[in-house]
Amino acid sequence: MKCVIGGAHLRVFGRAIHALARISDEFWFDPIEKGLALRSVNSSRSAYACVFFSSMFFQHYCWAAVSQPCQKEKQFSLPCKLIIKSVLPVFRCVNVLERNVEKCSIYTNINDHHITFQLLCKHGVVKTYNLMFQDCDPLQAVFAKHLCPNVLKVHSRLLAEIMIHFPTSQEEVTLSVTPMKVCFKSYTEEDTDFSKTVLTEIQLNPEEFDYFQVGVDSEVTFCLKELRGLLAFSESTSVPVSIHFDVSGKPIAFSIEDMVLEANFILATLSDIEKERASQQAPESSKTHTGKSDKTSVDRENSGAVASKKPQRNSNTAPAKPASPLAKQEIKDVPRAAKREVTGTEGTAVTKAEERAALGEAAGAQYQKFHSLFFGAVSWTQSIGVQFFSKLELDGSYLYSKLVG
Amino acid sequence: MPLSAQPASSAEPYVLAASLDNARHLSSLLRAVHFQDHATCFATANGLRVTVEDAKCIQANAFIQAEIFQEYTVQEESVTFRINLSVLLDCLTIFGTSSLPGTSTALRMCYRGYGYPLMLLLEEGGVVTVCKINTQEPDELLDFDFCSTKVVNKIILQSEGLREAFAELDMTSEVLQITMSPDKPYFRLSTFGNAGSAHLDYPRDSDLMEAFHCNQTQTNRYKISLLKPSTKALALSCKVSIRTDAQGFLSLQYMIRNEDGQICFVEYYCCPDEDITEAEL
Repeated sequence: MKCVIGGAHLRVFGRAIHALARISDEFWFDPIEKGLALRSVNSSRSAYACVFFSSMFFQHYCWAAVSQPCQKEKQFSLPCKLIIKSVLPVFRCVNVLERNVEKCSIYTNINDHHITFQLLCKHGVVKTYNLMFQDCDPLQAVFAKHLCPNVLKVHSRLLAEIMIHFPTSQEEVTLSVTPMKVCFKSYTEEDTDFSKTVLTEIQLNPEEFDYFQVGVDSEVTFCLKELRGLLAFSESTSVPVSIHFDVSGKPIAFSIEDMVLEANFILATLSDIEKERASQQAPESSKTHTGKSDKTSVDRENSGAVASKKPQRNSNTAPAKPASPLAKQEIKDVPRAAKREVTGTEGTAVTKAEERAALGEAAGAQYQKFHSLFFGAVSWTQSIGVQFFSKLELDGSYLYSKLVG
Repeated sequence: MPLSAQPASSAEPYVLAASLDNARHLSSLLRAVHFQDHATCFATANGLRVTVEDAKCIQANAFIQAEIFQEYTVQEESVTFRINLSVLLDCLTIFGTSSLPGTSTALRMCYRGYGYPLMLLLEEGGVVTVCKINTQEPDELLDFDFCSTKVVNKIILQSEGLREAFAELDMTSEVLQITMSPDKPYFRLSTFGNAGSAHLDYPRDSDLMEAFHCNQTQTNRYKISLLKPSTKALALSCKVSIRTDAQGFLSLQYMIRNEDGQICFVEYYCCPDEDITEAEL
């Protein structure tokens, strides 16, 4: 196999190699008749990338070793496995590659187990790299993109701008979609100390996407580190990125396609079973937004309060929700032995509030306050209310100063 | 010998006394040869030469000619001493290494002779620092006996063409192989690392090539770890001359232009690693 890459395409090729380097230390160099495929898979088989350059990408592309008829039986050139670290120096400083390098020739020498990269640089300088490869079995992931119910298409620039908000240490990101909105947020483990982490959440309107199709509401969590390689690569091509995915547990595919190349990065996503198992410590399901904040409240003294705050928030999005956080509150208080009597009373408060949930949010909250005042509940907002009211009872002048001061 | 704090204006003559308005003219050159802790200083009426050696295989020399100094006097025919180069550099850059425009460290260097320390007076912005660095017996230095009549192949290249190459040398290779030839590949740098081999070819008609005088095809290998420090000198220089003699000894001469536009030289000499006559892939 022999091919020549020229001019601006050098940068694209170099970026592809750098993108594959994010997945694994080695990659498959797989020339076929139609073009050259570069593939990579990580050691845990949870990320797979394939960048395919059609023969038109190259200034010159020649697959069979025409000059050696005796090699007829070797017409199918087997893929070669190369160590990425040895190839990266060839495409170092990708940004200046175009300026310094006129063209790059690649040829394989099956007999010697070498792949030669020859760069014709400015000032007539020629850089030749002869890299050894290993024979290997072909590698290909089987993933039916067209069967995915959810498809988003977004410009690479926008996707990069979204991801830039996540700190570089952020390993996993959750993408959650409904027909109404798209949300990218940081994924956190159940035992994360929330006082020490930055949580990022970016919500987008369907209008921001070039193509928006959500067949099933889903929330998928994938590894951001492996995706970053694709983001850098896609910026060099200025072609929109397509995202194909299904429900959690099924892979998510990020693809770029243009006339001369096609790149697919397929990442595994966290499955629900794993999520459930992780959340068993906190006795609640973590499917909704509220679930996350409720987790923090387990650690707090006045945990009930946060949940009770929830109704006010949720009322904006889904009026039916209030019942569940309160129900959660009930569940949460059970393991806390310390405030048992309060639990009992709070439980009563909850039930009463539940009954009155139909009356609406404000009413419910007030009833809670009311009940908590009666029964001395320890919820946070209420405790402020309790203080306020008790102070009112005790010291009228204090109330006056509060209003004025 | 006791280190007496006698003022510079004492009646006792110094065998070596020199002044520089900008100490960087000296410190940057010394850094280009700083790959060992100790150096031998050799002062004659022509100027100062600082030599560093390693493994009896490589020698680097920094030349600061008398004209660079604002004041330069040598009382004896030659003055030689061994000194800790790391300490000397730390003293010369005692006011910091960042170069703000307009500010520079002034230097006065005095040496009373055998057994005495080297005294440095450094001044910047009215602040004066006095340093006294112990000197030692000078070592026996290698003589590569590299004169122009023995040179077989010689090329002069613009440094910018080599800088990237040297900075990116595959350090997993034990050797750097240099091929010089009147025929193709003319001038080739090769490494043989863990992943495979890499070759860098410079054609004789390249616009980086200032002079090309190759009479014989020669391929020599040098230990890459010994030559890697020369990258510092290459980074400072504008031109480099590469010469080999019949035994394969390598001479690299770097022409360095300092901040005031004055020319100084740094050279590296290296012994070949083994004798081979043909380049291998």
